[in-house]
Amino acid sequence: MPKHIVRLLTIIAVLVIVALSARFYFKDSSFYQYGHYRGKAPAEIASKLPKIQGSASCQSCHKAIYDEWSAGIHRKSTKDNAVPGIVVKAGPNCEVCHTPAGNHPSKEPMPLSVEDRMTTVTHSHDHVHASNIPGRKLMLTPDEMRGVCIACHEKMPGRPSIQPQVVINAHAGEELCTTCHNPHSPKINYDKVPRMVAMKKAGVGNATAGKVVSANCATCHGNTGISASGAIPNLAGQKSIYLANSLRAYKSNARSNGIMNAMASALSDSDIENVSTYYSQNSCKAPSVDKGKAAAGKAKFAEVGCAACHSSGGLRKPGLAGVSASQVWPNLAGQNAEYLVSALKAYQEGNVKANQDGARYHAIMTDVAKTLSASDIENLAAYLASSSCK
Amino acid sequence: MTNQDQIENTEDTGVTRRGFLGLMGAGVAATTALVSVDSNAQFGQHKTGHKLAFQQNEAQYEEALNNPPQIPNYNWNDHKWSYGVDVSRCIGCMRCMEACKAENSVQEDANHHRTWIERYVYLEGAEEALVDSAADPKNIEYVGSEVHFRFDNRYKDEKVDKAFFVPKLCNQCEEPSCVQVCPTGATFKAPDGVVLIDTNYCFGCQYCVQACPYGVRSLNEERGTAEKCNWCYHRITKGLNPACVEVCPTGSRVFGDLNDKNSPISLFIKNNQVTVLKSEMGNKPNLYYAGADKEVS
Amino acid sequence: MEQVFGQVAPYIGYVYPNETEIPWTDLIVIYPYITGLVAGAFVVSSLHHVFGIERFKAVSKFALLTALCFMCFAPIPLLFHLGQPTRAFEPLITPHFTSAMAMFGYVASFYVCLLSLEVWFAFREDLVHLSKTSKGFAKKIYTVLTLGSDDISPKSLALDHKIARILAMIGIPGAMGLHGYVGFVFGSLKTREWWSSDLMPPIFLVSAVVSGVGLLIVLYVITCKYRKVVPDHEAMVGLKQVLWASLIIVLVFEGLELLEMVYKAREGIETVMALIKGPIWAGMSIQWGLSFFSLAVLSAMMIKNPQGKKFVNWMFVCGLAMMVAVLAMRWNVVIGGQELSKTMKGLLTYYPQILGRESLLTVLFLFMGPFITLYFAAQFIPPWEDAKSHPHGKAAAH
Repeated sequence: MPKHIVRLLTIIAVLVIVALSARFYFKDSSFYQYGHYRGKAPAEIASKLPKIQGSASCQSCHKAIYDEWSAGIHRKSTKDNAVPGIVVKAGPNCEVCHTPAGNHPSKEPMPLSVEDRMTTVTHSHDHVHASNIPGRKLMLTPDEMRGVCIACHEKMPGRPSIQPQVVINAHAGEELCTTCHNPHSPKINYDKVPRMVAMKKAGVGNATAGKVVSANCATCHGNTGISASGAIPNLAGQKSIYLANSLRAYKSNARSNGIMNAMASALSDSDIENVSTYYSQNSCKAPSVDKGKAAAGKAKFAEVGCAACHSSGGLRKPGLAGVSASQVWPNLAGQNAEYLVSALKAYQEGNVKANQDGARYHAIMTDVAKTLSASDIENLAAYLASSSCK
Repeated sequence: MTNQDQIENTEDTGVTRRGFLGLMGAGVAATTALVSVDSNAQFGQHKTGHKLAFQQNEAQYEEALNNPPQIPNYNWNDHKWSYGVDVSRCIGCMRCMEACKAENSVQEDANHHRTWIERYVYLEGAEEALVDSAADPKNIEYVGSEVHFRFDNRYKDEKVDKAFFVPKLCNQCEEPSCVQVCPTGATFKAPDGVVLIDTNYCFGCQYCVQACPYGVRSLNEERGTAEKCNWCYHRITKGLNPACVEVCPTGSRVFGDLNDKNSPISLFIKNNQVTVLKSEMGNKPNLYYAGADKEVS
Repeated sequence: MEQVFGQVAPYIGYVYPNETEIPWTDLIVIYPYITGLVAGAFVVSSLHHVFGIERFKAVSKFALLTALCFMCFAPIPLLFHLGQPTRAFEPLITPHFTSAMAMFGYVASFYVCLLSLEVWFAFREDLVHLSKTSKGFAKKIYTVLTLGSDDISPKSLALDHKIARILAMIGIPGAMGLHGYVGFVFGSLKTREWWSSDLMPPIFLVSAVVSGVGLLIVLYVITCKYRKVVPDHEAMVGLKQVLWASLIIVLVFEGLELLEMVYKAREGIETVMALIKGPIWAGMSIQWGLSFFSLAVLSAMMIKNPQGKKFVNWMFVCGLAMMVAVLAMRWNVVIGGQELSKTMKGLLTYYPQILGRESLLTVLFLFMGPFITLYFAAQFIPPWEDAKSHPHGKAAAH
């Protein structure tokens, strides 16, 4: 055989051997173990950690809200109609609205929420501050907030009739869904949702009739609601619904104060509405305070996030500090500093069960107040007292 | 059986206290191994999905069957997953789509989905349905984001004869076209019925994207590999439901194990007249629809 | 409908959300096209080597070199297209035998090897001469390429010739297999109505021959003009006959395929018709218009048998027209098939990108590759059999 053919065949042989050994070397050892794939692959795929943790995982820390949800219509275990015998869970669980928990709570706060701010306030040592994460929004805009609800509840051709649906603008105008509905248990129960009790009775008071009733209060609270002493709260310009709620709370002894319990017990329901309306229509007057304390208080007010409730614009668009956006929450601007101090201290001492001996409990206020030092309280009170109340 | 050898040896040499404990451990292990081998062999007998692999002889096949992948508390020989969709219950909220994207790190835009919802609307007198989904520009414009999904309400002022929403996802076919055409073996059908993608082996030729009759595959440009629903294999192997089933607020998505006669899916199939999509393709889907319209394909 | 997002194809009707990004784009148009160009060149050289048709002697070695240069570039578009190009070797290591695509690596490498061997045997005599006449670095390379053997005795040349003939004989089914296989990659997908046809492999095969012969005509005419040589008339007549015959087969097959699709009128035929009238209208016009134009010109030339410059010019026009027509056909098949949604309820429209990994720019560079390679290869081992070519080589031989 000619020399060039021999050499050519040699080269081909070498190439074939190289190719075969390359195949042997590069082939994954687990390939062909179960079939035409890497035998390691299924375990690799299965080893990924779930990001959606399920509602049960929320229960241990958010027990109150979990109970609220699991008792309501957003969580129904029903006997399925279409398929006899199967219990199918219906209704959104926590992560449908709050987005998947992922690393929460060990590393991340939950992304969606008013709670976002609240958790960072109440558990500030355990959480990364949401506001420190670039690109993260603190709260949802009103449109986004409604978007969460209308994703399922907007009236739309194709939605089965069993699904509750609304034409959102006709149903609620510009109002937020959460004004009337508790998203965790959205069916409105007028007896159990305090806000709704107030809503039902809002604006029924008669200011003229209220002025007559107010004669009983004038000794302490002044003729128009500017009180005689710093320890006694000003009532002029206060939210009428807040005032009425407070009087009802005193009347039922839900809130304890020797004098007020006695005074409120003498008032009828219409008296309460009338006197609240009367005071709410009077104009307030800001007392003078220490300016240094007020400046320190202003910083603390922003840090703690009081504006979420006690500002006319909320956290989204801060407006007048101490003037609440909601009828349910009290105005603080122009309130007596001494009274504010005692109120905050009362919240600090409050706990879930005890609501007596001057102590007050409120799910949010107590948690917030416990993060404050005595000087913080003085400063905040000074700042709020000095703020414009109109 | 090395464990049995150990037992005999230990008996011969005498039993110390420590040895006795070891013996007990070995015995338990041996028994467990025997039991599990038995049960696997039983399942192996009536298995259809599992076939002899290339370059594999009978003994190796038997060994593979008896040694399923090391997934904690899970043996893929014991399960036969299946999925059902009750079309009449779907409200088109698209929570499943967002949950799926978050759970599986799917590309965050309107053009890559492991699952999606289609809206079918028959306007008054129309013979054919108008169909749209998340990739529809009008829906994207309405939400103002490609990350969040919602149907716009474009038909609210129209007269509508019939309208409904249809969830779509991977059918995990019995005869998957994607597996047939995959040149490398990066996608495969596991014996528990799920078609998986090995993203460490896929080289992104997208032949499977072409071959899938249901359009459930796409290319994940960030990973450079194919992307497809695997019924949340990392969840179902841990005893959880797939993410979309977990979040579905109306229970229109049903998931379970066909080997369990009382699982939701077994009852769903038993109690409904179910259909599959595009049966003419011969893929034998494992995704069953109850109440799907003729236009749904 | 206006285009809303960057790479997303706009659509009408309803398409699956995942379909809105076209998976196979320009690069997959150019891949079967380049592969196809190999076929024609190879067929012509085989007609000479295997069937001993002497009229092709003038172009047979050039055809072989052209085939090799284009085949080397055929897999490159695929590499650019892959999501993970570094894993491209996987189908070679663990080929999945049920996949049409898994075989590509083997088929292509087999074909490259075969062509290299053929070229080597065809050019060995020239290489030996060149290694003796050239100087310096070039001499070294020529010597390495001869594998250090200067044996060009009539006996060993006869053996070479025999081996080359056997290789060419293997090459014919190989080439048929390769191009039929490319058609199979598309035709075997039941999912896409526009692809799923039994006629797809023969159509790819014959249209490959058409485009390849067209390329050979174009390149031969250009190189002759460049070398100031009159193109070999016999060879041109032979090319004319091959082009005419294969063009007729292609047109019949393609016509039959369309006819069957329309006649069967399965679900979604309206959408298929809308596809032809809509997104690929221009492509279809170019494909069929140029095909019929070439057919008319070629038929006229078959009857009138013109001579000289006029003949060469018209052949050049026909060759170029068929190259463009087949490129349009590849576009219509590859892109058209994906523009027709799997839902059969919608149509996408694909707009190619100008810049980027999978873009027209990449296509342009990739398509220039084989021509540049061929230019240097023809300088290095001149393939010309006609009188005035590479003076020193021929002079040395005699």
